[in-house]
Amino acid sequence: MRGWRLEKRTAPSLASRVVQPILAVIAGFVFGAIVLAIGGHDIGNAYKAMWEASFGTGPGFEQVLIRATPLLLCGLAVTVALRMNIWNIGAEGQMAMGAIGATFVAYHTTSLGSLPILVAIFLGGAVAAGLWALIAAIPRALVGLNEIIVTLFLNYIALLFLSALINGPWKDHASIGQAYGRRLPTQAALPLIGNTKVTIGIFIALAAAIGIYWLLDRSRAGFSLQIAGGNVRAARYLGLGIGRRILFVLFLSGAVAGLAGVIQLTASGGGRLQEGLTGGYGYIGILVAFLARTKVQAVVVVALLYAALLTGGTALQSTGIPSSIAEIIQASIIIFVLIGQALGSYKLVRTAPAKSPPARPAAAIGEAS
Amino acid sequence: MNFWVDALSTGVVLGTPLAFAGLGELIAERAGVINLGVEGMMLIGAVVGFAVGIHTGSIFWAMVAGGFAGGLLGLLHAAMTIGLKVNQIVMGLTLTILGTGLSSYIGASYGNEPFKGHLSKIDIPLLSKIPWIGEILFEQDIMVYIAIVTVIAAALIINRTRHGLALRGVGEAPAAADAAGVPVFTVRYIAVWLGGVLAGIGGAYLSVVYTQSWSNELTAGRGWIAIALVIFASWRPLLLLPGALLFGFIEALNFQLQAKGVSIPSQYLSMMPYVFTLVVLAIVWTRQRGRSGWGMPESLGIAYEREGRS
Repeated sequence: MRGWRLEKRTAPSLASRVVQPILAVIAGFVFGAIVLAIGGHDIGNAYKAMWEASFGTGPGFEQVLIRATPLLLCGLAVTVALRMNIWNIGAEGQMAMGAIGATFVAYHTTSLGSLPILVAIFLGGAVAAGLWALIAAIPRALVGLNEIIVTLFLNYIALLFLSALINGPWKDHASIGQAYGRRLPTQAALPLIGNTKVTIGIFIALAAAIGIYWLLDRSRAGFSLQIAGGNVRAARYLGLGIGRRILFVLFLSGAVAGLAGVIQLTASGGGRLQEGLTGGYGYIGILVAFLARTKVQAVVVVALLYAALLTGGTALQSTGIPSSIAEIIQASIIIFVLIGQALGSYKLVRTAPAKSPPARPAAAIGEAS
Repeated sequence: MNFWVDALSTGVVLGTPLAFAGLGELIAERAGVINLGVEGMMLIGAVVGFAVGIHTGSIFWAMVAGGFAGGLLGLLHAAMTIGLKVNQIVMGLTLTILGTGLSSYIGASYGNEPFKGHLSKIDIPLLSKIPWIGEILFEQDIMVYIAIVTVIAAALIINRTRHGLALRGVGEAPAAADAAGVPVFTVRYIAVWLGGVLAGIGGAYLSVVYTQSWSNELTAGRGWIAIALVIFASWRPLLLLPGALLFGFIEALNFQLQAKGVSIPSQYLSMMPYVFTLVVLAIVWTRQRGRSGWGMPESLGIAYEREGRS
């Protein structure tokens, strides 16, 4: 008797890496169409509006780039840590601390010119966010305290701290209704590219992508991070300091997420601290990094596509179709991609004729599996 | 004194959905599966429970429907993470997005309608006569008592029965449990499904009993507080009760202070559940490191793979 069985693949095939995500996106939109149909909404109208608001038109594409910027940075932040098997769930809070740090620096450097003040606030934001991430990194390095839990809950503390600042010491008393922080000096606004609405923040994010690609995939340091994350015994044997690397990786991860916060502050944030500034990008960044399998080039592509989905979703409100359909489509695409990834890591193989029980090397019996 | 009794009494009400959702997450985590989708499951439970409540006028069926809907999302998490061995963190976050989107979509037509049913307060004989404590704990609605009894029953089952042993075994050492004949996958499926059911009931309690109305993202982060609660309780079911009371009390205190016009920034008070959780985590972790008895299940977050069999 010959039969079939599932065997684990060592590496996903090219087809599964390229074709499956495309199928998953199609499946996600089909699922969204079904949900729209059940709700009695016009499917064609909804998807046309989403397309025109994102890739379909010039102004739409500008909006996509504006959303892709923080998303790319957060995706990169999570990727850096994930390469060492460290889960940074805290990019959302690190974005907030980045914006807070930048605001603090901006309030104290109002007399500077545009370039120095921008350099100062980006540095300030990155350092503040990196230090915030160290709160999770230090106990992880010293006593192995789970960084997933700590980074997750630091988010809420950071976001509430931001809220306390703009309702308290940094409150702009001229603002009525929603609370805002006092405006940053005008020199602190990020320059726009040509006559678009896109700031040079997108170049900062792309530069970060190139730098992180070089660090992770082209440098010795990046290689040692992967060893330290993958095989603790091998790392010890090679004399790699694991604790030191955890601190480095989470500081860098936090700092990169902090850059996203500074860009939100100086660009679409309108030059002042406000609630909702982080916009969930920190959480979506985790999904972006994971869907891109922590490959930096793929993070760039996934961030852009996800940003298009977010942008398209906001356009639905004006058509009278609930914009929550965009979240349903997002989630279903991710679920279909995850299913594809899971199935793609297995392959169907024909089993050999089972005359005798499958031979196993003697050494493998007794081995812990 | 009245101020504090009021705050504590409201704290018990606000702690009830946290106790339900927290118990659900605790059961799933004790089986080795972390589910960061509690917020999404609570929202689905809240909206479906509310819709059924509006149509049937029955709080009972609203709770059942909320639990059923939350259970469906729980099963999705189980199928993805236990069946397909998808990463639990990523799937949980996705579940939150799905639950947020679906609940807003379903709830779009229920925004303006208040739920008119009312869950009356039941005074427990004798106990409700105890000064202060009686008013705080024993003059509450039936769901509060159900929450307390459910948590205590769960604690007994988890700590003292064979089924509880199977649950703990699956979360601590699934390979050993498997070798001992425990159906690892079945236990994990049931635990994660129960997690969804309880989160759904917690959500339905919020929309049907507490706010008696639906608005988008009604749970306002309580799903995340429920996850914090599990860690605050060091994965011990009985400690969920004082934890839920404390976190509920903090929220109630915040409302009352604002109503009184006390100018203490409410954000610092709202931060407390997370700060307490991190402090408890740090203390317990450093004191019990390397010794058994520390609560975090050994195999939390790790998919179980049966090797060498077919």
